[in-house]
Amino acid sequence: MSRESTIDNVRTSLPIAKTHWPLVFLTLGACAAFLLFPYDLGFMTRILIMMVFVISFDLILGYAGIATLGHAAMYGCGAYAAGLFAVHISPDPLLGLASGAAMGALIAFVSGLLLMRAHGLSLLMLSIAVTMVLQEIASKARDVTGGADGLTGISMGPILGVFEFDFIGKTAYWYAFCALFVILALLRILVASPFGLALRGIKDSSSRMRAIGTPVYWRKVTAYVIAGAIAGIAGALSAQITSLVSVEVFNFALSAEVMVMLVLGGSGRLYGALIGTLVFMTVHHVAASIDPFNWLFAIGFMVLGIVFFLPDGLISLPKRIRRMIGAVR
Amino acid sequence: MRQLRWGLFASSFAVLAFAGAASAETIKVGVIATFSGPNAIWGKQFREAIQVYAAEHGTEVNGNTVEFIYKDVGGPNPDASKAAAQELLIREGVKYLAGFDFTPNAMAVAPLINQAKVPAVIFNAATSAINEQSEYFLRTSFTLWQVTVPIAQWAADNGAKKVITAVTDYNPGVDAESAFVSAFEEKGGTIVDKIRMPLQTTDFAPFMQRIKNSGADAVFAFLPAGPATFAFTKAYNENGLKEAGITFYGTGETDETTIDALGDQAIGLTTAYHYSGVHDSDLNRSFTAKLEEMFPQSRANLASVGAYDGVHLIYKMIEAAGTDGEKAIESSKGLSWESPRGLISIDPDSRHVIQNVYIRRVERAENGSLVNREFDTVENVPDLGFSR
Repeated sequence: MSRESTIDNVRTSLPIAKTHWPLVFLTLGACAAFLLFPYDLGFMTRILIMMVFVISFDLILGYAGIATLGHAAMYGCGAYAAGLFAVHISPDPLLGLASGAAMGALIAFVSGLLLMRAHGLSLLMLSIAVTMVLQEIASKARDVTGGADGLTGISMGPILGVFEFDFIGKTAYWYAFCALFVILALLRILVASPFGLALRGIKDSSSRMRAIGTPVYWRKVTAYVIAGAIAGIAGALSAQITSLVSVEVFNFALSAEVMVMLVLGGSGRLYGALIGTLVFMTVHHVAASIDPFNWLFAIGFMVLGIVFFLPDGLISLPKRIRRMIGAVR
Repeated sequence: MRQLRWGLFASSFAVLAFAGAASAETIKVGVIATFSGPNAIWGKQFREAIQVYAAEHGTEVNGNTVEFIYKDVGGPNPDASKAAAQELLIREGVKYLAGFDFTPNAMAVAPLINQAKVPAVIFNAATSAINEQSEYFLRTSFTLWQVTVPIAQWAADNGAKKVITAVTDYNPGVDAESAFVSAFEEKGGTIVDKIRMPLQTTDFAPFMQRIKNSGADAVFAFLPAGPATFAFTKAYNENGLKEAGITFYGTGETDETTIDALGDQAIGLTTAYHYSGVHDSDLNRSFTAKLEEMFPQSRANLASVGAYDGVHLIYKMIEAAGTDGEKAIESSKGLSWESPRGLISIDPDSRHVIQNVYIRRVERAENGSLVNREFDTVENVPDLGFSR
């Protein structure tokens, strides 16, 4: 049996990249949301940005099995890179995104060289440490970053020289959506590629992967760098759309929230990341607007309930229901 | 025919009644602040002061009903603040924004209020630079320069010769340090050393040693109120700085909501600030009494008075200009009124509040709680940090 056919066999057995329906659904969903909630574009744009961020975390946690609590490091670096790029070099949004991605990838590479050698608890601790160091730098380098007051003076030019950022946030919404769409399409190809399969193999058993000759360490570093670039893009989007970057982009809470959203939706599945983000942020938003003072209870109970009853995340809900109906029969 | 005439009469009456109702509209005010998480105290103080003001003055201005809509942003989070402002402006159609506990949260809405021409009244965020970002920002709190320069000058006038500064190493701390140093040196004093302490630390013993060794006769400190101040004042007492006669000068460290946690070690700390919960005036007494009546667990602090005066300012703007943002801003310039903190007015240039800064000392009041007792006043201080 040739190597190619083995991959094909494995590939067909995996629930990925078989149809394009999910991308179509995503597009339809975005259009419907745009038409149904024209007053919530600011909030929905934040959801889209968060989806980009969570999906990048899915690549390392869900696919490669690398659990970190410092994913905000790359998000923050991307945000500052895009912000500084807009202030000092060019107001072009797409170039700004590229600078965010480059910075996210760079910081992921530098920290990844160390982090990917660690496992388990030490990896968690080290990744938190990296983020804290970056936050301290951002807070101290006041002349460059504006420190705790935030980096101000970001004004964006029109996208592709045509689409101006508007007051209601229509441009920002579609801009974030396009970014998410492109990244998702690329990631679908990536996770179905031999590289994606290698990551899954590493997650299941890194010693076996090493035994069959996979350079486990470098595969993990590569995954981390790709995830870093995507997280950098998410940060850049937020910097460009808010026109302000504050040191809170490196907050521990952000890294933790990303993990919660991913686990909620179902890790190891690209759409799990999207669903988890959507549900978490929507419940957060609705609960917070109903009761701005005690909404955290609602979030807490929801997360508890889902982790308890659906350990594989929301994306496993249809399968669960099917199984329950089967059991009743 | 008769029926038709009655119908006409009734419908014209209905139209009249409706027209009357339309001229008296509901004017919405969006309050963006932190109502959840570790910084929820800001939102709580804001909301309570708003409710006290509404209870005292009603919710109608010129026949218009004023309605407050609260949005939680969960801490310093400019993304959330901007999205909340967008939602308030576009969906809720608010004509005034208010709140803003943290500087980045205020900064983030500047482009929006410029475009929408909606006044935003800042209840707290104390960086001078905010008001330069938009013509539509008004502020009823204070700035770091505004309270720090008076304590430096007062210290110089009252015998301090050599001072060491010890500030938390983040923007407000650095702001306070530069304000103190420039004002104190202008008065001919000497700054013997400048210490910047990490934001996260609670171990201040090494800094105390440096302060002691520096030979200064006073220390100017800037710390976030709460645990950091607690640890600092504890170290200040335990390392014998108080016995050594090194005076403590500060600003907002002895905040009313956290002061009782400081305990006896806080007694005697000298600070300069624009508001104390025990400010000696009838208006303040009635304000704090009403607050205690409505919210028995609460104590008035700078956030309360910032929100209380902010709401007063919004009511005055609605009275003068209704929902016209540009006119409202014009009408607010130079406005003066009596606040629980004393007489204040809005500076036409910086759109920031001009107010007295009081020199206070921590004492134990008759009811057993710690208070900031005012004993000297620096009158009518503007925002000294504006366009600096």
